[in-house]
Amino acid sequence: MKKKKLKFVIGGSVIALAITYMVFAGARNNMVYYMTVDELMAKGKSFHGEGVRVAGKVVPASIVKGPQPTEVKFNVKDKDGTGILPVYYKGIIPDMFKDDADVIIEGRYDADGTFHAKTLMTACPSKYVPEDKQQYISKEQLKSY
Amino acid sequence: MADIGYITLWIAFGLCIYVPVISVLGARTRRNHFILSAEKGIQAAFGVLTLASFCLIYSLITDNFQLRYVAEHSNRAMPLFYKITAWWGGQEGSLLFWVWILSVFSAIVVAQNRYKNRELMPYVYSVLMSTALFFLVLILFAANPFAVLPPSRVPADGAGLNPLLQNPYMIIHPPNLYLGYVGFTVPFAFAIAALITGRLDSTWIKSTRRWTIFPWYFLGVGILLGAHWAYLELGWGGYWAWDPVENASLMPWLTGTAFLHSVMIQEKKDMLKVWNVSLIILTFMLSIFGTFLTRSGVVSSVHAFAQSSLGYYFLVFLTLVLVFSVFWIVKRWELLKSRNELDSFISRESIFLLNNLIFVGIAFTVLWGTMFPTLSEAIQGTRITVGPPFFNQVNVPIGLLMLLLTGIGPLIPWRKASWQHLKRSFMYPTFGALLGGVLLFLSGVHHLKALLAFVIAMFVAGTILLEYIRGTLARREMTGEDYLTAFFTLISKNRRRYGGYIVHLGIVLIFVGIAGSSAFQIEKEVVMKPGESAIIGDYRIKYQGISFKSDPNKTVASADLLVYRQGEKISGLVPEKHRYLRGDQMVTTEVAIYSTLKEDLYTVLGAIEEDNTAVFKFIINPMVLWIWVGGFLFMTLGTFVITLPTLEELKERERAMQPEWRVGSKVWSRA
Repeated sequence: MKKKKLKFVIGGSVIALAITYMVFAGARNNMVYYMTVDELMAKGKSFHGEGVRVAGKVVPASIVKGPQPTEVKFNVKDKDGTGILPVYYKGIIPDMFKDDADVIIEGRYDADGTFHAKTLMTACPSKYVPEDKQQYISKEQLKSY
Repeated sequence: MADIGYITLWIAFGLCIYVPVISVLGARTRRNHFILSAEKGIQAAFGVLTLASFCLIYSLITDNFQLRYVAEHSNRAMPLFYKITAWWGGQEGSLLFWVWILSVFSAIVVAQNRYKNRELMPYVYSVLMSTALFFLVLILFAANPFAVLPPSRVPADGAGLNPLLQNPYMIIHPPNLYLGYVGFTVPFAFAIAALITGRLDSTWIKSTRRWTIFPWYFLGVGILLGAHWAYLELGWGGYWAWDPVENASLMPWLTGTAFLHSVMIQEKKDMLKVWNVSLIILTFMLSIFGTFLTRSGVVSSVHAFAQSSLGYYFLVFLTLVLVFSVFWIVKRWELLKSRNELDSFISRESIFLLNNLIFVGIAFTVLWGTMFPTLSEAIQGTRITVGPPFFNQVNVPIGLLMLLLTGIGPLIPWRKASWQHLKRSFMYPTFGALLGGVLLFLSGVHHLKALLAFVIAMFVAGTILLEYIRGTLARREMTGEDYLTAFFTLISKNRRRYGGYIVHLGIVLIFVGIAGSSAFQIEKEVVMKPGESAIIGDYRIKYQGISFKSDPNKTVASADLLVYRQGEKISGLVPEKHRYLRGDQMVTTEVAIYSTLKEDLYTVLGAIEEDNTAVFKFIINPMVLWIWVGGFLFMTLGTFVITLPTLEELKERERAMQPEWRVGSKVWSRA
């Protein structure tokens, strides 16, 4: 009787361990640092080429569109921050993207000091809708089936 | 009106203290009239909370902008319907909405158990009303919907409801979720009552069978409505982003599903008592936690959490629930021990156990991924997020295993399966699914995960089909009915089983839809001048031109598209952009979709240039429609079949309503 129970306990533990392992392996492969502009600038070189997510505000009058309608260059800074981060993004531009908009960008911070954004999201105006909802999510994020 | 509303809330607050105290006293001292008084207290609480809700709705309809809630969530131009539904459009109102639903459910529980479960009821009432008390504390001390603005700050017009939320989906999505979240309070209350009284046979489970199915169903529909809304309204072509708010609603649904399955083992074999009690406690806690996640701001940042006082209330309440529940489980440990034990690995019990482990496992991974950024920020000071890739990588394999069990579980006999039996049940579906897989592969489906999902889906669908066919044939043998009659009597005689199969079929369709749309999505961004065409998949899309309209609320840009397939015109599509004239000039995207069972053609209008050159995003999303059909149609049908009362139950209910069961102060329980 005890033996049988033991068998099930072992079986259950194996499954629990397997799931735990998958969680940690999955997390290791998919961690993205989420920081403010100043934090990223402070880290500087150590983050060149890393996948990172940055929250900031669009610096007024820094938006340059073109040459194609889907290309845009702009600068972001923290609300009360000093650092200014130049960003290049190609893709559909969200509806609420304008001067002073709160944006979340995800992509690579290159050695030349430019941030190549794969995704550009505008933070949502309503508390009731999660900020991540009002956005275009890039193919890469969605394809990961 | 605001004053009346505020006073009624305090009356409800008093009642929610009175009911737990008087009913526990009544139970301890065996005074039946105390318990009857508690029942009247619950009915009164329902009455005053209805009045409070009415006051809020009345203030919304009459544009009473003295109330901060009305000023922030409504405006004069809003249609009446949206004014009413602003009741649950914001934080304070939605908390009132929550506690009102709980009072409705409590009143129904009182009516149902007038002559039943008399020993459990005092504690059930206590738990229900203590939960209501927590929400009233929140409302009265942290989020008062009747808060009044100082006269100098009363606006001439309100801010209105976020345009994104002004659509029918967003209106029915929260109530569905809430019916689910709140509904799980009832089985939780019964479980706690069973623990306290020590009546741990399956009475509490039988009494709450429908109270479990019902919130489970509405929570599921609520989640799907949210997904559908995201698909139609947000314009990124997907329906699920593993966003914290979505995850918040998914977690209790997962543990609730596990609970639905594991109670069957207790009913049949008198096993897993600890597990069942723990699961329903976990489900209830996750329901509260879900509300907490969406309401406290803890997800967006630890600092946001600290700024809103709501978070701490929730944490205290959740801690209390946990400590209280664990205390009673430990205290009743001896009674919870099972007399039976598992006989074999290949038995329905053990498959059920595995299914439970997997559901709880997925819930755990979702919880971990949702809370990871918050925890990493709290511990290390840097926020590290794990996005959709993490959830997909971890949950897809587990999910596929779960789907496989959906096919295996119901067909495996209790106790121990024989080889003969396994062969009889699974031979045809296995070969059929493998054959289907080979055919799919040959026709060009090479995406491994999707192929696996399709094969498993075919296997499960095969087993279900076979069950229906065999059952119908066996009935016909026995009774000589014609096929159709035999088929329907089979279902009506075994509602839970065959209704369950319909739900399983819905799950299969959802899996197929998810697999198809995730693996084979095609996306294209194009810049077009009026008159130009673009090709995507088998479609040619011609951009005819653009038109602008405006109404008092917004200006609308509509692009006129024509869709051709193989040279034939099949549909016109009009994706739009709406720019609202409110302060922040909010812009929303209205997508246009051509939808078939094979695929959705999803079109989004992007930026518009001076010369009407426009940026478009075209997406082909295969089989998305399967998700909605499987979810809304099959789940509804299956749940309906499961919950219909049988003739025996109706007779039983009639008997239960006969007052002869009620004997003065003596408490009867009819096991």
